Amino acid sequence: MSDAAASAPIRRFLAPPDTVAGRVQRAGLVVIGVMGTAVLIGPFLSPYEATEHICTPFQTPNTAHPLGCNDVGQDLLTGILVGGRISLSIGIVTALLTTIVATLVAVVAAYRGGLVDQIAMRVVDVVMSLPFLPLVIVLGAFFGASLPVQVLVITLVMWAHPVRELRSQALSLRAAEYVEAARAMGASGWRVTTRHILPELTPLIAPQFIRVAHNAILIESSLSFLGLGDPIRKSWGAILFHANARTAFLTDAWVWWVLPPGLAIALSVVAFALIGYGVGDGEDASKRAQPTADGMEPAEAPDAPEAKLAIRELTIDYDTSPGHFRAVQGASLNLAEGETLGLVGESGSGKSTLAMAVLGLLAPSARVTGGRIMLGDSSLLTLTPNAFSRLRGKRIALIPQSAMNALNPVMTIGRQLIEAVRLHQNPSPAAARQRAVELLEMVDLPPGRMGAYPHELSGGMRQRTVIAIALANQPDVLIADEPTTGLDVLVQAGIMELLSDLQRRLGVTILFVTHDLPLIAHAADRLAIMQDGEIVETGEPEALANFADHPHTRALFASTPSIHAPKMWTRPTIAPSVPPLLDLVDVSLTFNKGLTAKLRNARPVIAVSGLSLQIRPGEVVGLVGGSGSGKTTAARVALGRYTPDAGQVLFMGREVSADRRRPIHMVFQDPYQSLRPRMRVGDIVAEPLRIHGIRDTANRIRDALAAVRLPSDESFLSRRAASLSGGQRQRVAFARAIVTDPKLILADEPTSMLDQSIRMDVLKLMESLRLERHVAFLFITHDIVMARHFCDRLMVMQSGVVVEEGEADQVALQPKHPYTQALIAAVENMSAPPQVELKPEAAE
Amino acid sequence: MVYFRIVSQYLAVFAVALTLNFALPRIAPGDPLNYMLTEDVLANMTAAQEAEVLREFGLDKPLLVQFTAYVTGVFRGDLGTSVRFGEPVSEIVLARLPWTLLLMGWALALSAAIGTALGILAAWWRGGRFDLSSLVVVLFIGSAPVFWVAMLLITLLSAELGWLPSFGAAPLGAIPGSGEYILGVAERLIMPVTALAIVQTASILLTARSAMSIALGQDYITFARAKGVPEHQVFFRHAFRNALLPIYTNVMIGIGNLVGGALVIETVFSYPGIGTLILEGVEARDYNLLQGVFVLATLGVVLANLIADLGYPLLDPRVRRT
Repeated sequence: MSDAAASAPIRRFLAPPDTVAGRVQRAGLVVIGVMGTAVLIGPFLSPYEATEHICTPFQTPNTAHPLGCNDVGQDLLTGILVGGRISLSIGIVTALLTTIVATLVAVVAAYRGGLVDQIAMRVVDVVMSLPFLPLVIVLGAFFGASLPVQVLVITLVMWAHPVRELRSQALSLRAAEYVEAARAMGASGWRVTTRHILPELTPLIAPQFIRVAHNAILIESSLSFLGLGDPIRKSWGAILFHANARTAFLTDAWVWWVLPPGLAIALSVVAFALIGYGVGDGEDASKRAQPTADGMEPAEAPDAPEAKLAIRELTIDYDTSPGHFRAVQGASLNLAEGETLGLVGESGSGKSTLAMAVLGLLAPSARVTGGRIMLGDSSLLTLTPNAFSRLRGKRIALIPQSAMNALNPVMTIGRQLIEAVRLHQNPSPAAARQRAVELLEMVDLPPGRMGAYPHELSGGMRQRTVIAIALANQPDVLIADEPTTGLDVLVQAGIMELLSDLQRRLGVTILFVTHDLPLIAHAADRLAIMQDGEIVETGEPEALANFADHPHTRALFASTPSIHAPKMWTRPTIAPSVPPLLDLVDVSLTFNKGLTAKLRNARPVIAVSGLSLQIRPGEVVGLVGGSGSGKTTAARVALGRYTPDAGQVLFMGREVSADRRRPIHMVFQDPYQSLRPRMRVGDIVAEPLRIHGIRDTANRIRDALAAVRLPSDESFLSRRAASLSGGQRQRVAFARAIVTDPKLILADEPTSMLDQSIRMDVLKLMESLRLERHVAFLFITHDIVMARHFCDRLMVMQSGVVVEEGEADQVALQPKHPYTQALIAAVENMSAPPQVELKPEAAE
Repeated sequence: MVYFRIVSQYLAVFAVALTLNFALPRIAPGDPLNYMLTEDVLANMTAAQEAEVLREFGLDKPLLVQFTAYVTGVFRGDLGTSVRFGEPVSEIVLARLPWTLLLMGWALALSAAIGTALGILAAWWRGGRFDLSSLVVVLFIGSAPVFWVAMLLITLLSAELGWLPSFGAAPLGAIPGSGEYILGVAERLIMPVTALAIVQTASILLTARSAMSIALGQDYITFARAKGVPEHQVFFRHAFRNALLPIYTNVMIGIGNLVGGALVIETVFSYPGIGTLILEGVEARDYNLLQGVFVLATLGVVLANLIADLGYPLLDPRVRRT
């Protein structure tokens, strides 16, 4: 359930027919279909030629001429039907040409990158800055008025417009992990472009086509209206040109002469607009749902009168089409004054929904269908929206999930602090400012940063600002919803320390929502474990660690060993005399040093500097570091994806070059991104074989899937990646990695995006592959605890340099370098409480 | 550095426009003289006369020399001579320019103000009746050709009701500056500005609405609500301030469309601006005139873009340089 909710949606151009957007799009298709059919067939059915003079000028409508005639006695209805052919075909042909040109430019620019991209985008900018109608007029005047000229001229001014959007989409596709994965398997640029980028780009090309067709019809009619249309084959615009030239609107004929062609243009353009409706809009169009009072039972006395916050039998449903989805089921919690309660659950467990319900900030599609929430002695769910709003920030405050984006980007942090103060208190401007300065100081930020905008602060500083705002009015209850997720390990430790310090000083009650058990187990007074919408167990961390009743709680604790616990995987040491599989000798790589970087005004970044690394057959080496430490770049250098500026990359004693068949494979962090959602399992696993030109794939696919403990029957092979769970996906990714029997797999944070309870399974899988298939691993991670347990040797990286390396236990238990010491200290402060059967070793 | 890039960008645009202008008569089918003289003159010319004319226009010199001469000419304000009027193109264009600017300025201001206001109201009542009906109306109006809207306005307000004059920009015979004159100018502005603004408003309304919806979905909005900011302040202070950026961009991009719209609409009202001038140029095959208008239109759009770029830092602290 949790995995299905998190899976990336498959993009399609047409929305499903039961949605508003789908209906609107289909209405557009019907309109354009009817018009297309009419202008295709109509002229054959009409008894007249459009150029024939067959009636009296300005003839009013009669049965022979339903729209009457123009000034020279031509039948107007026939003229409109014939004109439609011209207008619509110019629109469609131009849109086709333009889209083809734009797609080519966008894909080439995005794929080649660098100078080609820079030049292409400058040209696009220039073309887009030219005033297009005057340009079209000048071009049209010089090259004569004919249909091909019109098509070419409109294409010439329009092609640049879709390039921008298509290129940025192609760029994000190029950076997509499944493209990176294909590159890592050794796929050529051509293969990546045709097999991965173009198929994924197609749904985005369609709306561009629609947009151009829409504009082309309008431009054509303007051109023809100015007399620059084909003088013989008259389009709708040209009919209006003649009507205007003869001042038709001063006669009674205008209704029949002027209205229909204009309506026809507007209708066809509207139809195209409707087809493109909702594409790229992607937001829901309803107001925030307010907690409903239905399902509210008469208040009985709260079971825990001293509770600051009491949640009773809370049930929350999401409206989905069809039916509804129960996110929270009968959840009850008590938070005593000054307590920190850790609400721990995996993705989709309902923990955030529960937290948002307490704040009255549920998503519009969510409804509280039962239960009560009591803050002190006031019932929150019966409050009016305004009353709830007055309470938020004053009695209950939030530290939100994404601190990076929680601050308004166009307001200084000082203003946002002052706003928070003034919302609930009524201080003088000077006093409000003074209070804001105090708040900044409270979270250890210099008051000089009052005038800073959020983008000028680091992630940690923004999170501190958010905490300051949350505490501005001394709330009784603080909801911290994954407040440190996405921050670097050391920054995370700093924030946790700040929070527990503030909690001690201010005595605030904290509901701490997180997926990270070790992080909160140390800091919380009590834990509540949530699974599939239910709170399965509550208790003190130590008690839960040792005497958990619920299997889920036990699984969670089992998957988060302490740094000091006995090493979970110990393997026989490999003699240093065994020649290394992979040998990186003094490798350095700097980004942003070329001409294009100068053009972009980008500073050079030293990604890896003087890195030496050996991996012997069957060995597991851990590369540990925070974000930006250069560990992923190092892996890509080892893979041959990047060519180092200096140093050597040897595989089995031979230089790794960019285009050779690679005996190394890579497994990526996020199995939701490293597998293309629309591809079938069979094709995903077969891809490395196909890239290397191996035709007979069936047996090897079966073997690889068996090795990762997945079924290999037809029905599983034909399932799409989008329908698999996260754990299954990561297994498929490993199957893809081993299908060519590599001797070495680079695993880039292979567990960090997975739920805690399946992380261990992935590590166990890696160990079984090591034993059965004699694969060595480079395990890249920010998690020094896991690295210490799983790896034989560790290398700790900071800012592109290896600061410490050695046997895993030696590095983790007796760290020498200050950075390693800081990493260890950070996890010691947030490791799960010791389990009874494990004897903790003393920290030095 | 940023400004250097912006300026070089616009210089490039202008250079492309000049190069196009220079190249067109030389690469288009037929002799360049076809594009500089009228047909009856050409038909009666002897070979010697032709050579003399070529020399006079400098067309016998190497291309690079011709190009330099052309570019320096443009920078001195020399855009050639109009065949149709027999006067320097720059003078003719400058005489017509104020009328077009008047038209465009009003249309831009009106459409920006009304489009933004309506779009925000639609976002406030999103999903409601006002939102849906405004979307339907706007989709249709935004799809109608601007000249057709103008023709319908004339039919209704001039031909049928006789309320407004449908011809020209100023009353004939009135003394410029007099009350009668100003009233006449205003009367004649109403219809073309309305037609232009109606079509432009549609696109701004859509942008404003979607920019507001996107802004309202951001994390900082949730956090603002969690701070206890009342809904109307969330909407107007937090969301609107951020939605202003895409709205501003769209209004500025719209200037390019307005130039096109103004040119077409003038021909409907015989409004004596650049658009009518273009039509006269097209009819007379006065290529010098058309090219001159194109260069000036490019210059105008480039200037508008430049002003737009300079305005960004005022709205968005993220592009400010310290």
